[in-house]
Amino acid sequence: MIRQSWWKILAVVILLYTFLAGLLIPLKPGIAEVTPRALQAGTEVELTVTGYNSYYSKAKNELRAWLKLEGDVVLKAARIEVVNDRTMKLHFNLPQYLPSDSKDDACSLILDSPIDGAIVLPEGIALTQDSVNLLEGKKLWSADKMDQLNVGPKLTFPYRSVLYETIRNQYFHVPLWFAMIFLFMFSVNFSVRYLRKYDPDADLRTLALNRAGFVFGLLGTVTGAIWAKYTWGAFWSWDVKQNMTAVALLIYSAYFILRGAFQDEEKKARLSAVYNIFAFAALIPLVFVIPRMTDSLHPGNGGNPAFGGEDLDNTMRMVFYPAGIGWTLLGFWIASVAYRVEKLQQKLLDA
Amino acid sequence: MIWNRLSLVCVLTLLFQQMAFAQQASGDFLRSIGHIYVVVAVILIIFLGIVLFLLYLDRKLTKLENQIKDNE
Repeated sequence: MIRQSWWKILAVVILLYTFLAGLLIPLKPGIAEVTPRALQAGTEVELTVTGYNSYYSKAKNELRAWLKLEGDVVLKAARIEVVNDRTMKLHFNLPQYLPSDSKDDACSLILDSPIDGAIVLPEGIALTQDSVNLLEGKKLWSADKMDQLNVGPKLTFPYRSVLYETIRNQYFHVPLWFAMIFLFMFSVNFSVRYLRKYDPDADLRTLALNRAGFVFGLLGTVTGAIWAKYTWGAFWSWDVKQNMTAVALLIYSAYFILRGAFQDEEKKARLSAVYNIFAFAALIPLVFVIPRMTDSLHPGNGGNPAFGGEDLDNTMRMVFYPAGIGWTLLGFWIASVAYRVEKLQQKLLDA
Repeated sequence: MIWNRLSLVCVLTLLFQQMAFAQQASGDFLRSIGHIYVVVAVILIIFLGIVLFLLYLDRKLTKLENQIKDNE
């Protein structure tokens, strides 16, 4: 029994790992909010920083902060007042002139703490000055240096604004599609086998694999819609990948309808096998080719970079790749149960 | 078969509405604590989907069991 179903046990173990690691590993400390976002040169300013997963009070005396302009020009915070773990107030004495030849400039904010590591505010803070004096500005901004930045906690997922904790959906939404593609791929294999050998068993396997694949596809669409609502702003943005997968799922739903249209078992099996091959041939360009040719909100499509770099770091890969395997194995498990039900029905019909 | 699929769609639509309603009722529940409840919703939907498919297989098996009983 164990020898036969080792891969089912593997699926459970991998998915358990996916759930535990995917939900328990914290996000990297980040900056949730900074106010105000517009500063005037020559004034003393107080910035209120709201952190995410940060521990400011633990490193009260070792906190450092800089405003950073282009070209590694920095201004160190004169005073840092920690309110609690998630809030602190930074005081900057902004010099009269900016090291810039225009009245407006933008800077980023960098925090450094031995507990949280170095954190960069992704969006800029606007700086304005009343008159331009490049030379004086360069002199005024040359006093501080940014050095010996700390490395934060290692086992974390990236903190990305817009995504926040939903970055974890990478282990639940994305692998559903992996599983669907693999299930449909195997079902094509059995369709080909049916057409070559007219083996009724292959037809039943195709049907079961398509059922499981369709369930995964539907779940992928619905979970994607929810994720989209809270990151892209709408359940359905008419994004090219959303539309094309919807078309692909409609093509596959026609497979089940087609099967219902035949009384003769052999005719049903033969035509649905042919249809299934065409469905898969349509699925590949719909899901993998067309979304790459136009603009898409999905990462890895159109002008968008794929999940990678800061969106998929090595800690995420440690969970994401096993998640893909785990969900795919679960898909095959579900398909195998569906197949056994079909097989039993076939036996009863034949008897 | 078709009814099963239809009922699945119905349940999921209801879930959507529930979530939209919950959002109106309690401000921004799904956006709280770094949007973690979006992940919870996604996992719940996957769970429900798999359970519904299980239900579908269960009903099919019951029918087959009854057939076997009749044959005997």
